Amino acid sequence: MPTQESPKSRGVYDWSWFAKGASQLFSLPALILVSAFIGFGGLAREAGISLWQLIFMVPSIWALPSHLILVAGIAAGVPLLAIIPAVALAAIRMLPMTMAFVPEIRVPRSKTWHLLLVSNMIAITAWMHTLQKAPEIPRDGRLPFFVGFAGTLMVATTCAAGLVHQLAASFPGYVMAALYFLTPIYFATSSWNTSRVPAEKLALVLGFCLGPVFFLIVPQVNILFAGVIGGFVAFGFHKLANRQGTG
Amino acid sequence: MYFDSYDTVLWPYLFILLGASLPTAIWRWIGVVLVGNIDDGSQWLVLVRCVSTALVAAVIAQLIFEPSGALATFPFYLRIGAALIGFAAFLTMGRRLFIGILFGELALLGGYALL
Repeated sequence: MPTQESPKSRGVYDWSWFAKGASQLFSLPALILVSAFIGFGGLAREAGISLWQLIFMVPSIWALPSHLILVAGIAAGVPLLAIIPAVALAAIRMLPMTMAFVPEIRVPRSKTWHLLLVSNMIAITAWMHTLQKAPEIPRDGRLPFFVGFAGTLMVATTCAAGLVHQLAASFPGYVMAALYFLTPIYFATSSWNTSRVPAEKLALVLGFCLGPVFFLIVPQVNILFAGVIGGFVAFGFHKLANRQGTG
Repeated sequence: MYFDSYDTVLWPYLFILLGASLPTAIWRWIGVVLVGNIDDGSQWLVLVRCVSTALVAAVIAQLIFEPSGALATFPFYLRIGAALIGFAAFLTMGRRLFIGILFGELALLGGYALL
């Protein structure tokens, strides 16, 4: 793979791309994410999360499914030891996402600690948008572009969530309902678009159907059950389909 | 141990770190360390993605079937109907996130206004 070094830059990265990344705050994916965090701010308030706890959790977790599982768990009085595996399983997607992402943004002189640090900003919106834009960005500008975009998103979503936490009571109910409704549609459509094999789409449908079914059987751990069982069944179909395809 | 187990200022922050920040970040760190060692198309990664996708889908279902707050005051069939309309519009009109959100929200608020 050829490395396209900008002639101007003397450092490892070309940081002039940072501002270009930051300016992507005015893009549709960023707008959707900020709106979803407006909804999350209201949700966190209703769960009894304080303003400073909210400001702390938005960038330190930085994955909306993890945020939602944590806040729903706190609201329902779920113990820490049950929240950890549910969050960890929902966040497993960070592993293949990171592994797909790092080869796109690293340069030969990238240190592992650069990548470890930057990896904390990986979440679906900035990840997807940077991967889409990457072909137009010289290799040494990609990490700065991503940091600029994801960093600006972190600040904007934290501010939006915090602001709504303070103001939610003065909004009409249907506005808050419409904001809460953004998150499930955003998750469903973005998961569908980032899936690589048909089995992931099947997993999406199975998880959606099994979640409410297990809610009736095992209400506190229904997400965990639906995820593991739905995921394994979808993977089984993937293996079957591949066997038929090759055999 | 629960969110309100200890009456100290720092406990809720520790709870957030241990309960959600670390279990999320750990996968990113493992990903950085493993990258280059595991083939991106490996079967193990397909299984990982399937379980993770199904889990997020269960979260999606929870947000629609058992929402909290203002959305809970909307009738069940309106929430599920609007979600299906939004997703159907997304699938049939070029798989754009914007289309799914637009149609879903229009169906939700339109249905609410009519009731």
